[in-house]
Amino acid sequence: MRIERLTALLPGLGFLALLLAGLEWAVNAGLVRRALMPPPTAIWEVLSDLIASGEVLGPLFATLRLVFIGFAIGSAVGIALGTAMGWWGAAYRLLEPLVEMLRPIPKAALVPPLMLFLGLGDTMKITSVSLAVTFPVLVNTLQGVRGVDRVLLDSARTHGWGTARVLRHVVLPAALPFILAGMKTSLGLALIITVLSEMLTGQGGLGFLILDMQRSFLIRQMYAWLVILALVGLALNAVFAWAEGRALHWQRRG
Amino acid sequence: MRRPTSGFWLVLALFLLWEVSARTGMVDSPNWPPFSQVLAALARDTLSGEIPLLVGSTLARMFAGLAAGTVVGVAVGLLFGASRLATRVLGPTVELVRPIPIPAIIPPLVLFLGLDNGMKITIAAVTAFFPVLTNTAQGLRAVEADQLAMARTFGVPAWRRLFLVTLPAILPYVMAGLRVALALALVTTVVAEMIAGEQGVGHYLVLMQFAGRAEEMYAAVLVLALLGYALNRGFLWLERRLIGWFFATGRDG
Repeated sequence: MRIERLTALLPGLGFLALLLAGLEWAVNAGLVRRALMPPPTAIWEVLSDLIASGEVLGPLFATLRLVFIGFAIGSAVGIALGTAMGWWGAAYRLLEPLVEMLRPIPKAALVPPLMLFLGLGDTMKITSVSLAVTFPVLVNTLQGVRGVDRVLLDSARTHGWGTARVLRHVVLPAALPFILAGMKTSLGLALIITVLSEMLTGQGGLGFLILDMQRSFLIRQMYAWLVILALVGLALNAVFAWAEGRALHWQRRG
Repeated sequence: MRRPTSGFWLVLALFLLWEVSARTGMVDSPNWPPFSQVLAALARDTLSGEIPLLVGSTLARMFAGLAAGTVVGVAVGLLFGASRLATRVLGPTVELVRPIPIPAIIPPLVLFLGLDNGMKITIAAVTAFFPVLTNTAQGLRAVEADQLAMARTFGVPAWRRLFLVTLPAILPYVMAGLRVALALALVTTVVAEMIAGEQGVGHYLVLMQFAGRAEEMYAAVLVLALLGYALNRGFLWLERRLIGWFFATGRDG
């Protein structure tokens, strides 16, 4: 099974290797301007230096920290509000117009105003990321909570369960696939807003470095940091997919 | 007219709080203009033609990119659907590129395409490409084999089967991908305008922030919120017109 999966990957990896080799050749043959696109081996040298010297760690952790904290806060707020709005009609009537008003704002547009109030530091960045994360999670949670099977709720009530217990043991597990779908969308957004706020403030981790290297014409460094960021995106998606699979294992069996 | 709910009063109260806190000096900051002044700035710059011009240029770039990204996304999706080999060869490269956050590819793109339209349209196109590709592939799996087999039995040539059977059948899926792409493309187009060049609503927003003209800055945020809302509404309308049959037959994505 594992061997089969590896051989299935071979053509794709071969193509990728061919692509990089072709790029290397095109740059060396002068078909692509070296100032814009250094040969992959030159980028690899910079990249391996960054990793070997440990220089990569500081910016990497700075960016990951923002993504994680913002993602955690935004998800918690989204799940809490979404559950409240899905469960209590009064909460829905109170908050729905506000949510519908804030939701369509491209959250990237909130970064400049937040910079004025919260400065250029982590507070601003974490607030921006949390805001971007909240809404997709909220909307999906709401949808999930509303879709819970009435029969499940009635039988829980028949057993004399209180609201807290029903929410914790019936509603949230049933809504979990929706919540996780919203969180998946939000994870991508969290990374986008993190990188953007690092770029706009000129401070911080990977996003800032990529823009800064481009403006300093350190092109090989720019590509090296871009590769690192791409790997971060890939790793975050993989970890999330793994966690989602574990959290929902009951669903496919059932 | 619906009876105003508690939520309506909450929104109204928040706007009032904004206005009052700015006027009475509860929040005494040049960054916190009263809401009425933001609306006045919005009206002024709309009537002067400045905001409509900016919105027009942002939308033009976004739609150009969306169109290009959609065409390429559907084409690659069809290729993946038609050939397992193509999926195996190209798939991993696509999956490696997909998780790169879009703002990060702006700096290298600037090197190749400069600061203006070409770069920003490409950004919107890349944004649209991935969700459209995913949904096209998903739609192809759902095309009924019976329909294709019947078309083949009646001797409909391959290219006509593509236009008469396959493309209409995957349209609802492509539309669903496009809806995701539309919201994302507005974000990434504005982000590209914020980071590079001197065009569009995104640049205006950052410019006003630097210039300390808070009213104009909030007016730009309002404009973007209205755009986001209007685009989504417009898209839902278009979707009902184009693929009402899909929902009418009780199937969903």
